[in-house]
Amino acid sequence: MFSFTQPQKAIQLGDVIFGGQPGEHATVLFGGLFFKGAPDYEFAANELTTMYNLSSQTGIPAIPDFFIKKEEYINDILDFIKKTIPPNKPFSIDIIEPALKIQTLHKLHDKKLLNRTIYNSIHIGVTEQEQETLAQYPPAMAILVAFNPKDTSPDGKIEVLENGAHLRENGLFDVAKQCNIEKILIDTAALAPGQNSGAAISALPVIKEEYGLPSGCAIHNVVEKSSWLNTFSGSRDIVDIASNLNIPLFGGDFALYGPMQHAPKLFPLIAWQDILVAEYAEQYFGITPAPGHPRRIFYP
Amino acid sequence: MSSEYYPWGGDFEACEPKGCIAVVLLTTSYIPPDSVAIYGSLRTENIGIEKIIANVISNPHIRYLMICGDEIRGHRSGSSLVALHAHGIDDNHRIINAPGAIPYIENIDQAAINRFQQQIEILDYIGCSNATTLNRMITHYIDKTPTAFGNPHYAIRICPEKNLSLDDSRALHSKIQIDYMGKIQKRGG
Repeated sequence: MFSFTQPQKAIQLGDVIFGGQPGEHATVLFGGLFFKGAPDYEFAANELTTMYNLSSQTGIPAIPDFFIKKEEYINDILDFIKKTIPPNKPFSIDIIEPALKIQTLHKLHDKKLLNRTIYNSIHIGVTEQEQETLAQYPPAMAILVAFNPKDTSPDGKIEVLENGAHLRENGLFDVAKQCNIEKILIDTAALAPGQNSGAAISALPVIKEEYGLPSGCAIHNVVEKSSWLNTFSGSRDIVDIASNLNIPLFGGDFALYGPMQHAPKLFPLIAWQDILVAEYAEQYFGITPAPGHPRRIFYP
Repeated sequence: MSSEYYPWGGDFEACEPKGCIAVVLLTTSYIPPDSVAIYGSLRTENIGIEKIIANVISNPHIRYLMICGDEIRGHRSGSSLVALHAHGIDDNHRIINAPGAIPYIENIDQAAINRFQQQIEILDYIGCSNATTLNRMITHYIDKTPTAFGNPHYAIRICPEKNLSLDDSRALHSKIQIDYMGKIQKRGG
């Protein structure tokens, strides 16, 4: 267990707080909604209800992460968000195609949803048009992905944030600033096994100590790419879920944990881990867990 | 996995060592026949492509690279690989005209890219997962019995420079130290 020398920023969006010293605020979990083919909104509504109930029971904040893969789905997904997600709750949109990102930003503006949007994500491939649209319609919060294809170490990730690592003219911090995005989260970019996968975890305390910013990653992606797990029948799901423990253990603040269906096993697991960290952090470092923290709920 | 023919490792199956075709699988359940030299999946338009280059030029018998299956959304890895073969990289190491989100080649040198362009003919079957069609084309190109492209070319993995000190061995990370009170000391200090 450890504590950071650098003051840690605690950033609030809606009813969710990201960041702080280990043991101060609960780990935030982003549950992904992915669909094979067209979105199944009945399934999505059920999964959301389950995840939010687990969040209330455990004290672990939950953010739904909507993966948008086609233009034709943008309108319906945003309407579903507006109708289903309570107005005090943030959500994130996860889009890969730059053109689709731009279209979605316009729609988020039209539907007055930008003040609850977590933009997933800005990375070194951000295009000029995307930056212009972000500046015109800045989302409330953005995830900066510290992916450096040349140097996958924590130092390489910092380089991407600070100066673009010679892949861009400027760093991702500057991009966020130029786009008037004030609230940022740092994703330490989990890579496949054999590509310095552990660096995503070791970068968490490095970035927290360097900038005091909320940091996390999608460490479960490393599990997804561990094909050797197929040899061990039934192991994949438990390894996928358990991989997220690394994030609070190394001082991280949020996990993009993959399929929302993993919520029933993951939320109690992370609550247990947060209690473990919080108990020690309070006794040794004098850090009091915030109201609503799992430790306050289960050990009032 | 890795092998003597394919030193860079990756998510692939090595089949016929003197086969002339390597198959890149995008989004598809197609499994190529054992007559190909090597096949494996491609996900990312940067590190994934680098591994393919390295693991193709290390076996001079491979003269064709078939890319099949539906394109990887957003990453557009298959099309980025085609663009790399056609146009190479610019001064910032970005694949010229690549449609992918982050198409940068950073860990492999220009000599390896040149060799890839010279040794390999791309068979662009992006969008096709039909086993009958793909198997027929594989047989067609194997029947051409192309000659090997000289000696193997082992691409050197470019590594960033590291400056480590003896004190780093005690640290959680090379630039972080935790004191006896459990407090993290400044990075680099």
